[in-house]
Amino acid sequence: MVCNTIREILVQASERFGDQDAVRYKIGKDNIESKTYKQLRGDSESFSGALKTMDMQGKHVAIVGMTSYYWMVSYLGTVNSGSVAVPLDVALPAAELCELVERADVSVLVYDEIRADVAALAKKNCPKLQKIISMQKQEHENEILSMNRLLEESDGGFDAWANPEDLCTIMFTSGTTGKSKGVMLTQRNLAENATCLDMRIPSRTVILSVLPIHHAYCLSMDILKGISLGSIICINDSLMRVAKNIKLFGPDMILMVPMMIESFAKKLEDAAALPPELVKKEVFGDRLHTICSGGAYLNPEWITLFEKYGITILQGYGMTECAPVISTNLEWNRKPGSVGKLMPNCAAKVVDEELWVKGSSVMQGYYQMPEETKESLTEDGWLRTGDLGYVDEDGFIFLTGRKKNLIITKNGENVSPEEIENKLSKHRLIQEVLVRESEGAIEAEIFPDLEYAKKQEIADVKDALQTILDDYNKEVPAYKKVVKLNVREQEFEKTAARKIKRY
Amino acid sequence: MDILEKLKEIIVNYVEVEPEAISPQSRFMEDLGFTSFDFMSMLGEIEEEFDVEVNQQEAAGIRTVQEAVDYLNKLTA
Repeated sequence: MVCNTIREILVQASERFGDQDAVRYKIGKDNIESKTYKQLRGDSESFSGALKTMDMQGKHVAIVGMTSYYWMVSYLGTVNSGSVAVPLDVALPAAELCELVERADVSVLVYDEIRADVAALAKKNCPKLQKIISMQKQEHENEILSMNRLLEESDGGFDAWANPEDLCTIMFTSGTTGKSKGVMLTQRNLAENATCLDMRIPSRTVILSVLPIHHAYCLSMDILKGISLGSIICINDSLMRVAKNIKLFGPDMILMVPMMIESFAKKLEDAAALPPELVKKEVFGDRLHTICSGGAYLNPEWITLFEKYGITILQGYGMTECAPVISTNLEWNRKPGSVGKLMPNCAAKVVDEELWVKGSSVMQGYYQMPEETKESLTEDGWLRTGDLGYVDEDGFIFLTGRKKNLIITKNGENVSPEEIENKLSKHRLIQEVLVRESEGAIEAEIFPDLEYAKKQEIADVKDALQTILDDYNKEVPAYKKVVKLNVREQEFEKTAARKIKRY
Repeated sequence: MDILEKLKEIIVNYVEVEPEAISPQSRFMEDLGFTSFDFMSMLGEIEEEFDVEVNQQEAAGIRTVQEAVDYLNKLTA
């Protein structure tokens, strides 16, 4: 059933599956704890109540943390109270996170203690921030509030309904000019994206959630769709332990990005001589039958390989600006090489080879970025995806290239080459730099300032450039690391506007 | 078997490199061709093999095989 608010999704699930498990997660090494649908609804309503009591209802609430039960409670409690959630990337440096907190006009910061540094810096650097809440502290301490205590203090339900057209989530995504953009999504954008397509997934399906929860793909498909289906959402505590947690939780289904699928594919290829049933059991456990893939291009060969082991890979396509799913293959309706059929709430057309989409999941714009919004959205609501492609006679989408200057890594992260180029260009030794993707990794091609090197008596220029890259890499999340260095002897060819020719 | 040798045995499960080609100075991503997910999965295997608990944030700073050996020495000390 199509829902148009997130509260509707949660209320329906809690009415149907009240005392059954909604979330399972690890405590310590191998112990599993669980929370029921009734508890998830109750705790999130208590959080809504706490926001109201603190006079923070309707404000912007940033959430910084790994996937956890309390992350979900914070998110659901925020959006269901008519407030706006701002999920942030837990792996970003503290200064960058504080900048996003300020840019998104955040009043409340909810954080995981693994990022206590962010709370400490935000207290000093974010004047708009009024409340800071720790997901783990058991008691209120100084200016830091305890989530646990807040839930106890406001334990009494919350019964207001948000409007489907209300803004409910701002998600940051890489901008092509290097400055990330806050995608504004309404209740309807997210709720309809999660519920408008019947994928024939039975209720009580066990899902292992392994992707970062601040991304729209995980939030919409693992969490919101998972709840709408009455699934058991199991939380993977670390990317280090995906293989182990598959055995521990025994999922039926996992959402993955191509980088993960490729890694598992290598294991399958290494074990090609062994009986498939044995390998499947060892690698994926007894139950896994479906992997949904999105975020980046997937080599179709892996789909064929996994089928030998009884696992169906359903490749889809989307972007945060579309909350996020635009199309997906289905078990009974798929085409090799395609990213699937359009979602029922989405229309598409091709303009100058670029794919444009329209529908109830298309964002409202970029937060406080009218120019960028105008570049992406037409006046009559079409979203320019920046992807080149076509729709075939059966309604399947095929992608052929990219118009926007973004690197889409194999783990589905969007990285702006200009953001990295701007950072690296600050070094005097770097006269010109071009950042691009090369064989699945990020490469920097650098034309050094040889005069500067001479003046500074730098004997080994390549070594000095590598040191600059190493220093940069220490400060950024893994997906933004520059892995390859290519030193040029001549300056880059330029366009008439004196910009480096990219292609 | 010392830590370096055991680590080499684990590394070859993730990338197509001969153990002899792995040196303490080899960088996981740049020289050995690890993806960030392979690297994380390897840390998980290290946890099992060495019966230690790896701190993801600390381990994120590891770039070379020698740095991994040093980190493991610290954990097993």
